[in-house]
Amino acid sequence: MTNGWIDIKNTDMMLIMGGNPAENHPCGFKWAIEAKIHRNAKTIVVDPRLTRTAANADQYVQIRAGSDIAFLGGVIRYAIENNRIAKDYLVNYTNASFIIKDGFKLPEDGLYSGFDAEKKTYDKKTWNYEEGGDLTGKPVTASPAGKPAPPPAPGAPPPPALLPGKVAYDLSLQHPRCVFQLLKQQYSRYTPEIVERITGISQDQFLKAADLFTSIRKDGDMKKVATIIYAVGWTQHSFGTQIIRTAAMLQLLMGNVGRAGGGVNALRGHSNIQGATDMAGIFDILPGYLKMPNPADTDLAAFLKRTTPTPSKPDPWESFNYWSNTSKFTVSLLKAFYGAAATKENDFAFNYLPKIDRNYSWVNLWNDMYEGKVKGLFAFGMNGVMIGPDSNKNIDALKKADWLAVCEIYPDETSEFWRAPGITADDQKKINTTVYRLPGAGFAEKDGTFVNSARWLQWKNVAVPPPGQARLDQEILATIFLKVRDLYKKDGGKFPDPIVNTSWAYTTPYNPSLPEVAKEINGKALADLTDPKTNVTIKAGQQLPGFAWLKDDGTTLSGNWLYCGSWTEAGAMMQRRGTEDPSGLGIYPNWGWSWPANRRVLYNRASCDIDGKPWDPSRRQVWWDEAKQSWVGNDVPDFKVDSAPKDHMGPFIMNPEGIGRLFVPLGPMNDGPFPEFYEPIESPIANILHPNQSSNPVVKKYKTDMDKYAPVGGDYNIICTTYRLTEHYHYWTKNNPMNVELVPEPFVEVPFELAERMSIKGGEKIKVSSIRATYIAKAMVTRRIRPMKIDGKETFQIGIPIHWGFRGIAEDEGKTAKTLTNQLTPTVIDPNAYTPEFKGFLVKIEKV
Amino acid sequence: MASGAIESFDNKARREFESLGRTRVYRGELLRHPVYTRVLHWTVALFFFLALFTGFGIYLPWLFRWFTPFFGGGPLSRQMHPWFGLGFVFFFGLQVLNWLAPMLWTAADTKWMRNVHKIVSNEEKMDPPETGFFNAGQKVQFWEIVGGCIVFIITGAILWGGAKYFGGTAVAVSYVLHDISALIMLGGIFIHIYQSTFGEPGTFQAMIRGAVSEAWAWTFHPAWYKQVTGRDPVQACEEARRKMEGRR
Amino acid sequence: MADRKTLQADQISGHSGASPGLGMQRDLEVCKLIDTTTCIGCKACEVACVEWNDMPFQPTTFDNTYQTMPKTNWNFWNLIKFNEHQNADGTIQWLMRKDQCMHCADPGCLHACPADGAIVKYANGIVDFNQENCIGCEYCVSGCPFDIPRFNPMTKKVYKCTLCSDRVGQGLEPACIKACPTGCLKFGSKEDMSFIANERANQLRENFGFQNAGVYDPQSVGGTHVIYVLHDATDPERYGGLPKNPTIPWSYTVWKWLFKPVLGTFALFGFLGVLAHYVTSGPRMAQPEPPTKEETHG
Repeated sequence: MTNGWIDIKNTDMMLIMGGNPAENHPCGFKWAIEAKIHRNAKTIVVDPRLTRTAANADQYVQIRAGSDIAFLGGVIRYAIENNRIAKDYLVNYTNASFIIKDGFKLPEDGLYSGFDAEKKTYDKKTWNYEEGGDLTGKPVTASPAGKPAPPPAPGAPPPPALLPGKVAYDLSLQHPRCVFQLLKQQYSRYTPEIVERITGISQDQFLKAADLFTSIRKDGDMKKVATIIYAVGWTQHSFGTQIIRTAAMLQLLMGNVGRAGGGVNALRGHSNIQGATDMAGIFDILPGYLKMPNPADTDLAAFLKRTTPTPSKPDPWESFNYWSNTSKFTVSLLKAFYGAAATKENDFAFNYLPKIDRNYSWVNLWNDMYEGKVKGLFAFGMNGVMIGPDSNKNIDALKKADWLAVCEIYPDETSEFWRAPGITADDQKKINTTVYRLPGAGFAEKDGTFVNSARWLQWKNVAVPPPGQARLDQEILATIFLKVRDLYKKDGGKFPDPIVNTSWAYTTPYNPSLPEVAKEINGKALADLTDPKTNVTIKAGQQLPGFAWLKDDGTTLSGNWLYCGSWTEAGAMMQRRGTEDPSGLGIYPNWGWSWPANRRVLYNRASCDIDGKPWDPSRRQVWWDEAKQSWVGNDVPDFKVDSAPKDHMGPFIMNPEGIGRLFVPLGPMNDGPFPEFYEPIESPIANILHPNQSSNPVVKKYKTDMDKYAPVGGDYNIICTTYRLTEHYHYWTKNNPMNVELVPEPFVEVPFELAERMSIKGGEKIKVSSIRATYIAKAMVTRRIRPMKIDGKETFQIGIPIHWGFRGIAEDEGKTAKTLTNQLTPTVIDPNAYTPEFKGFLVKIEKV
Repeated sequence: MASGAIESFDNKARREFESLGRTRVYRGELLRHPVYTRVLHWTVALFFFLALFTGFGIYLPWLFRWFTPFFGGGPLSRQMHPWFGLGFVFFFGLQVLNWLAPMLWTAADTKWMRNVHKIVSNEEKMDPPETGFFNAGQKVQFWEIVGGCIVFIITGAILWGGAKYFGGTAVAVSYVLHDISALIMLGGIFIHIYQSTFGEPGTFQAMIRGAVSEAWAWTFHPAWYKQVTGRDPVQACEEARRKMEGRR
Repeated sequence: MADRKTLQADQISGHSGASPGLGMQRDLEVCKLIDTTTCIGCKACEVACVEWNDMPFQPTTFDNTYQTMPKTNWNFWNLIKFNEHQNADGTIQWLMRKDQCMHCADPGCLHACPADGAIVKYANGIVDFNQENCIGCEYCVSGCPFDIPRFNPMTKKVYKCTLCSDRVGQGLEPACIKACPTGCLKFGSKEDMSFIANERANQLRENFGFQNAGVYDPQSVGGTHVIYVLHDATDPERYGGLPKNPTIPWSYTVWKWLFKPVLGTFALFGFLGVLAHYVTSGPRMAQPEPPTKEETHG
């Protein structure tokens, strides 16, 4: 979340799309209701199903699963056409005025410039800013002929393209190659008529929704704010990241980012998924979103050169470019990892870090296991068989593994994959996987922190001790680690140093206390440090008060720079329970601790106009205090506090440009600098914008015998989406009688009209088949999903909750067919975040 | 056909029960009720009182809750009440079959009813000569109980099933009808007990031993007396009076 | 009235001047407000109710709905009713209404109940069942216009929502209120809740286009201590059968309170009647009567 849960109460308009907060985040949804009651805020819900969130909306719009970019693109077009945009914000706080390199091509045919059809990747060198100066009001000329790039040496990769230090720009936004004009051109194709054909939303409905959402910028008024709220309904697509990008662009266009009640807000699906992400839950990052080294990073300097950005902006403007501190964060992290073994002489043990040579994301791990390349798996706090995609493939992959260790609190489908339906006693004899079951502790049996969607670190205490032989996670992990380290010490190995030299300075090494770990993550001084400006001194061994103190000379240690400040000499900030809220904006500065630096709304400099005055005086977050020559406020300014407005420093300090990116240059996005609508991998129609490039061009299909994908126009013509229910929590609560009482059995939501056509009655068992597998459950016949006209053709959507498998109360009583929702889903992933496409695949249904 | 079947059923029952018990009829006495009739009567009475006392606890617990401990408390009283009621209705049903013929209404009954005030006030020492095995008052009570039982069965079933099956309104109406029926029957039972004990001495033994004195018979059921003895009841009474006075 | 003042401030320590809250009259009538327009059907209230009242779990069956079970049960006093309502324009409104005892000011169950002290209405408006005195006659079930009391076939007694009289008595809010994540459930004095409910209905009419929004507090049962804000108060039936004009059957008002004791007494008069007859008219004797004592001696 750019903002936070409580901050939603400050909004005037909510677009909830790709998320179902009333059902999956009911406690957080209270703030949406606060906004309705106290601000008369309006809610628009766009979803394939009329959910419990939609039941509370002012306007519900039924959309075809996976067509979100078309809808949002249409809203962008509507906002521009009707001048419902924040002009000053756009010019000063975004890259709307930046000129893009000549040769950049928009995807009228489905492809941006630079596509390599063979490798299915883009050469992104044209996705860059033009170098130059102020072109405002100047006649358009061809690209200045820069120095031609030297031809690459044969065999060697070309040197990576870099952002220009001085960007050419046109503050009038008239230059045909300025970002704004390109953006306008890109989305001019997303007319209401096209939106209707792609999404199934009638033009009437679409225009009503677009008008309502953009109404906050009527007549150039900047006081009102709109928020966009989403969850995995957006991420779980083969273009998920681009949907979120579209939302971010819309919010930048309307000037809603950085402001109370605004932002782009991801609702995390677990209590601590934000913490997992912050602490490097994904293979290509290190804690604090530092990049993972790759084989080309032969030493620390090379790594830092690659990963530390340099400012790229219009010359008169300033850019804080906070990632310029990458070296301090990296060295402090290495000191936390390797302690005394990390010295200046050995590059702070940089070479102990693994280098990633390819994609090790979730789906690829299972694919590798299926192909026999991964031989063992530790599964802690997750049920890989259930999670999928294509659970059958995961089950078959586990059959090929040598060993599997599962730490759980219930017997789950992963640890009992060998008992999956369809596996006979004879089959079981052929499975040679050794399964170790480790009795873990439940969330109420552990202390530690949760980091919520609002980026708050909140400490929790133990409610009850773990029962029986159950052990805390850290005890199990530490025991395994210390045994492995002993083996390396005794027997040596190919490269024992990273294991043997890992810093493990805990009071009880076999069971480290979590306060101790939390303090280590915060970081401490390893030598006496003095701030030359304020003369404040921190003694060696003391906790650091914030990441501004981090050094790249080995005198500081921090397990995650973003969390620096969470456990200081003043105490555990994450344990604070202060309920003061002086501003009334729901900032609660003394409750828990929010990264970064306890600020609650990111980019909050953008809540003020160019002169440093709040856009809305009734919602004052931060502002420029001329007398103090400093940024002050109710929230912690997300900015260089002494940078005066006249310096024109950009509010988006984590970007080297200092501004919000409507156009993403170069590296970050693999499938285009602007989002383009692509069909899901399995879709009932070919993309009407460019039938020859229907789905995301850089998305690769997997090639094992299990990977099948339904073609357009085949037997599989019903769109299926998957989701969770309020009443259940993933694959756990099917073991809890109370939850089972609330929703006892699996079901499939089927539109009334489809059920009538197939004479399916509510409560009858039906079989849902994808090209991969079948799923059997009772039908819930409902009018909450209506038939849709997609490109003029009647199309149905159905929905399946994910919760049931082959272990649980109903399952063990034989009440269910023991099939898994994710047996249906395809193995295909988003090219940026590697999230599988669980939403919007094709099925057919039959009566059982 | 039906009446024939009932007759043969009743006859069989009477024979069976007569072989199980016996009725002593002394000199100067007449057989009034055979064993079968008596057993039925007291079984009906037993179930009636069980239903009545359990019913009291439901009807007005603030007055009658002290009945409920005898039945294991309020809820158990409530649970048993319908079963007692069913027993009452079932055995009374057998009695109905048993008494169907003598309980049929006749012209004499209409006449009797016209003179009821004289009988109640004791103005007429003897019942009218047409009064048969049962007098009109007994018949009225009998048919009242028949009607009451029908009301009990219908409303009782609705109350037993409850609002869940029959709806709130049906239960609410049934509840009143059930109560009213019980109240009427209760009033009748006071008169019945009184008449059969203190009100008309010599009656009680008819249901205990099964036999009544001839004097009782010619006084209260003259036509029946004439039917079983062949003697004129008024004459018999006069004879007895003379005999009694002669002795003095 | 002295007992009602037990929790009022009289004196407080370390405070100069008048004690705050001194002599303040606490509003005795409590009320639960349910704003159906902000209910998200999350069922937290259902779980809180089961947990707080320590009720046993019961198996349920999928019934083509999100609703946990068709009706409240003896071990499930709080049920959100889900209803897919089709508007005149063909759009669907998914309505969710938390169903439980309404705690009527004029409670049908209490009227219907014959058992001494089995149902009690407190001065604060809570209508509570005292199972100790319940005889299981189930008349309350038919007396309730909201179809709330439920019979437990094991204990042979009837149960329903107590508005957490145990918690409220200790100054706490009912369990469902505590669990509600959105604040669509509120608890306070009847006066305050009515005010908030009417404000919200007003807001719905003026700012959200619900012309018929209103508050459900049916006067036909004297008002209730559970009130609803509805999008359309003219048609409460669409919210899972909320009666438009809940009424208590006449048999439980007129019959029970007037005729029942009167007629019951009449039945006792039957006993007195026959006694009177014996005393005044004497028994009817078989004829000829034996001579009287006097005559014997004479």
